[in-house]
Amino acid sequence: MRKLLILALTAPLTLLAACGGSSGSSPPPPPPPPPPAQVIANPGPPNVEPITVDAGPAALTGRVVNIAYVTVRICRVSTTQCQDVDHVQVDTGSSGLRILASALGSVVLDVEAAPGGLPVAECMQFADGSSFGPVALADVVMPTSGQVVSGMAVHVIGATTFPQVPADCPGQPENDVASFGANGILGVGPFIQDCGPACADAINFPSGWYYTCPSPTTAGGCAAAAIDTTQQVSNPVVFFNGDNNGVIVELPAVADSGATTVGGSLVFGIGTETNNGLDAATVLLADTGYAYIQATYKGTTFMNAAIDSGSSANFFSDSSFSTCTVNTALYCPGSTVDLTATLQGVDMTMLVADFTLANADSVLGANSSATAMPGLGGPILVQSPGAHSIQFDLGMPFHFGRNVFTAIEGQATPGGTGPYYAY
Amino acid sequence: MKLTPSVVVAAVLSATLAAPALAALGGDAASVQADGVHMKAAVRVTPSSTFSVHQISSAAGIVVREFVGTDGKVFAVSWSGPLNPDLRQVLGGYYGQFLQAAAAAPRNHRQLAINQPELVVQNSGRMRAFTGRAWVPGMLPQNFSVADIK
Repeated sequence: MRKLLILALTAPLTLLAACGGSSGSSPPPPPPPPPPAQVIANPGPPNVEPITVDAGPAALTGRVVNIAYVTVRICRVSTTQCQDVDHVQVDTGSSGLRILASALGSVVLDVEAAPGGLPVAECMQFADGSSFGPVALADVVMPTSGQVVSGMAVHVIGATTFPQVPADCPGQPENDVASFGANGILGVGPFIQDCGPACADAINFPSGWYYTCPSPTTAGGCAAAAIDTTQQVSNPVVFFNGDNNGVIVELPAVADSGATTVGGSLVFGIGTETNNGLDAATVLLADTGYAYIQATYKGTTFMNAAIDSGSSANFFSDSSFSTCTVNTALYCPGSTVDLTATLQGVDMTMLVADFTLANADSVLGANSSATAMPGLGGPILVQSPGAHSIQFDLGMPFHFGRNVFTAIEGQATPGGTGPYYAY
Repeated sequence: MKLTPSVVVAAVLSATLAAPALAALGGDAASVQADGVHMKAAVRVTPSSTFSVHQISSAAGIVVREFVGTDGKVFAVSWSGPLNPDLRQVLGGYYGQFLQAAAAAPRNHRQLAINQPELVVQNSGRMRAFTGRAWVPGMLPQNFSVADIK
């Protein structure tokens, strides 16, 4: 039954229509050519890192699903004191490299100093909590491809030298591996900086993002501060020497029942090498403010849509699906359903996005060792009018079986200037 | 439109205080004031017959809306902006319960749903854009739809 559903989905609409009305005299149109097979680049120099969807870092307790990890080498600037940090989450929905202090071993990094000399710290906010720690300078090495950024600003989370989380860094503290879910995050999204010009505004900078810390070990020893964009935690890719205009997340298709481990590639650059061309991919230019495209789903158009490897499920609102009793943040339809949305770039280019929605309690329960599960979806419960938060979020499940391109803002590629998504 | 007493009080407060008041969930809209200093905020009050909405907008683009019943108590809050607001301030006495529930929720950096008999919190978003809301089910006015908390 499941296989039949997949066949029906992959059969083009024109063919289905022809089948339904085939009693007439006109012959059915010839089937279109099959889509090109997915090609996943081999890891190696100069631009491909291996990535893995698996059970996560050793220090993690509890189950993680649909997180792609990469290994990043962190070195004290201009030294050979380095630590390979495994299980850093690959996130095209954020920008900047963040590492849990506990994963740095004996490597000691110097904290970035703001003009005037005060050390810089950051509160990285998520929907479910926030992570705090100093901004430090490091030489960042992508160990397989050999890409390097020297003296890069990196967010070090949970550093014992900055033990006092500021009062306006809200929510559940995610300052250890268990609460964070990874040894770090490699933010390779469409923006260059994590915050951008808003945090550099000397008057209207937000409280709860960047800080300077006259006395980081005492309560209240850090105060919200404006930080210049050049000192903000930033997408490392744009600082690479070449292959620096975006990334491709390449993961193979995963069976509906899930997989214990999945290997793929994180490819740097778009159209810069023989292994990272757009080929048949369609570019969806995103808006420059929030890097959103549009998605139309079951007749409703969502203005704030994106493709995001850092989302462990596809998140979208559909009141016809119930949420699960065990995995309460996910949908539990009666059986697996095939869904489709039409994505649209700001230049009106359209692209169909097919995805499946499975009963999360059933599929996760039936395969307790699975860490890759393609049918996971869940609701976005709150959508305020005029708010800029995401409304239609194609997450990691959407990446299985597709090479998904993310182009960085202001960077030229053969498919246009970022920000954009393509597949 | 008939002004409820709480709206009048709040309007007077917002007119007289240099920094606007921000009441916490479950708190008294007329008596709680804090936080306005670093929110650098402007207040707008939208009354209705059964509740009023106090909207507080900070210069950094964070908007907090407080839903105040005829008893003057904040029964719901919503927020949106490039960051979450200071949730310790916004959730007030419910902040501890919120932290406990968030720690017990599955790891999910993009979506948070807390659904307890005394407290519902929903938060959504990623770097540069968040939206959330919270309410106390037992404090909702009669015939109030939570769909209006936005």
